[in-house]
Amino acid sequence: MSQKKALINGVSGQDGAYLARLLLEKGYELHGTARDAQMSTFYNLQLLGIKEKITFHSVALNDFRSVLQVLAKVQPDEIYNLAGQSSVGLSFDQPVETLESISVGTLNLLEAIRFTGSSIKLYSAGSSECFGNTEGYPADEETPFRPRSPYAVAKATAFWEVANYREAYNLFACTGILFNHESPLRPERFATQKIIRAACRIATGSPEKLHLGNISIARDWGSAEEYVKAMWMMLQQNTPEDFVIATGETNTLEGFVAEAFTCAGLDWHDHVVIDLSLLRPSEIMVSRGKPDKAAEKLGWSARLKMKDVVAMMVEASRAKGTS
Amino acid sequence: MKKALITGITGQDGSYLAELLLDKGYEVHGVKRRASSLNTQRVDHIYQDPHIQNAHFKLYYGDLTDSSNLTRILQEVQPDEMYNLGAQSHVAVSFESPEYTADVDGVGSLRILEAIRLLGLQNKTRYYQASTSELYGLVQETPQKETTPFYPRSPYAVAKLYAYWITVNYREAYGMYACNGILFNHESPRRGETFVTRKITRGLANIAQGLEECLYMGNIDSLRDWGHAKDYVKMQWLMLQQDKAEDFVIATGVQYTVRQFIAWSAEELGITLAFEGEGLEETGRVVSVHGDKAPSVKPGDVLVRIDPRYFRPSEVETLLGDPSKAKEKLGWVPEVSVQEMCAEMVAEDLKIAQRHALLKKHGFELAVAVEN
Repeated sequence: MSQKKALINGVSGQDGAYLARLLLEKGYELHGTARDAQMSTFYNLQLLGIKEKITFHSVALNDFRSVLQVLAKVQPDEIYNLAGQSSVGLSFDQPVETLESISVGTLNLLEAIRFTGSSIKLYSAGSSECFGNTEGYPADEETPFRPRSPYAVAKATAFWEVANYREAYNLFACTGILFNHESPLRPERFATQKIIRAACRIATGSPEKLHLGNISIARDWGSAEEYVKAMWMMLQQNTPEDFVIATGETNTLEGFVAEAFTCAGLDWHDHVVIDLSLLRPSEIMVSRGKPDKAAEKLGWSARLKMKDVVAMMVEASRAKGTS
Repeated sequence: MKKALITGITGQDGSYLAELLLDKGYEVHGVKRRASSLNTQRVDHIYQDPHIQNAHFKLYYGDLTDSSNLTRILQEVQPDEMYNLGAQSHVAVSFESPEYTADVDGVGSLRILEAIRLLGLQNKTRYYQASTSELYGLVQETPQKETTPFYPRSPYAVAKLYAYWITVNYREAYGMYACNGILFNHESPRRGETFVTRKITRGLANIAQGLEECLYMGNIDSLRDWGHAKDYVKMQWLMLQQDKAEDFVIATGVQYTVRQFIAWSAEELGITLAFEGEGLEETGRVVSVHGDKAPSVKPGDVLVRIDPRYFRPSEVETLLGDPSKAKEKLGWVPEVSVQEMCAEMVAEDLKIAQRHALLKKHGFELAVAVEN
């Protein structure tokens, strides 16, 4: 059998980088896109030492021609769409860009696949943010969406676009509804990395205080490296289906903070300031996931839980600090 | 005097809502799209010459795909109430133009909400979003109410899903008075000619007058909950007069098949139809003709056939709304039954068909536009 070809949109991000490494290990010919491939440093790919093994293309997902062009050129067997504005907080400031990069982008991809008439498989990056407040009830594939941010509304839209094209045109297209997944590659714009980096800096003498919003919120945190395996597995099934990907364990942000500071040898109470200006206009209080279907049908389950993820991120942050 | 701004004012709902609001003493402002031909037929009867002092009805050129244009109109009008009825509103067309549908129906609503925020009007302007029963698509429970989970089945419904949730989000995130009316199918003589009810009443009226021969239909097993648009726009207004913004299902609570709607329409023309055969072979054949409304039809004629071209890539088989909340909280109940509405639509389409038939009889060549 000839070598399989994969195209990753958003290859420069956290998930893109880990997925790229996984697919390269599996022997794929790998193509990746960024909005401007010439200008992008692909820093994450450099860190993982795989930048040279990937062929890059410039693609703006909100531009149909640009999407169609790369499909015709690469002729991939599998497409992983991980591109799009990825921050909930930023989506309140840039709601239109969020919508266009996520929902219009997904629609363009689906249309382009349909147009080429080939049997390209599509993985679409969904989000647990779509569930909103489930009142502590664990969300699975049957749980209705109740999005609470422009980011989540855009992701819910993309989810239904994928479902509709699967049902209307029999495309092999599916969504992974991923709960929070972290790694050393997370940018500091995300609360988790902000906490880890601050704890590590304070541990090495920085006098700073860490400012956080609502720390009573609870999330299910897993490891990005493990989650990208689930993405690949979803495209190796006989029929396309949507899956919830989570650890099944929920912790408060306070628990995450405490663990991070403990790992750094500190007591968080001495270094954290609660800052109400960091509260979001509408926030999810408790996010809880039930990944039973993934365990049953994909044989996938998360080995790494919150504490493991924190330990890994602290270690990476320390190594970076000393290098 | 209260001011209202309506997008989609040249459409069925927009024109009825404009009439209602003018009756209530509002100053009504509407957005119409630029077109090479006139597209204001539905509001021509309420148009006021802008040269008249204190005109209470004013139209602006605008487009839901143009943020700066929407922002400017909102700034100029400073409305107390904003009704977003503008949309690419045809389910079948959304499969042909999915991105355009997303841009107008999804991003369009976001553009308005953002413009309201940007202009600092969030405490003044109340926002109504025209949501749709198509959100329920592959229905998760019957009947559908405000708490029923959505399962959209077309690019139209997916775009409207975005609009629904972004409206909820702006209410929750920024405390805006913004709400969704989840309207089940609502029709009238002003319904666009390509929508199924109007296609039926107009098609059969044309056949009755000898202007067309056969009506080609898609899935006539589809079950729908049909009400009169005139009833439904009252509810749109009511929703913006409450103490706090909430979403409501607007429906009649009864459903019928498209086939039943065809049979009623035929009866209004004095034609009794019998449906025979199954699937693609099903036909609607004339059993008897009475009265003088259908001089061109005789027993045995086949007036209805199935054309798979009108099937959709993914169909919505059944929709039935539960309007209990609207009745309980707003005291709203629909006044016109689907049968009365059907009769009104057939009567109006028959008048137009008779006019065309008369012209034809006197030698005027006349092309009747049909969907194909």
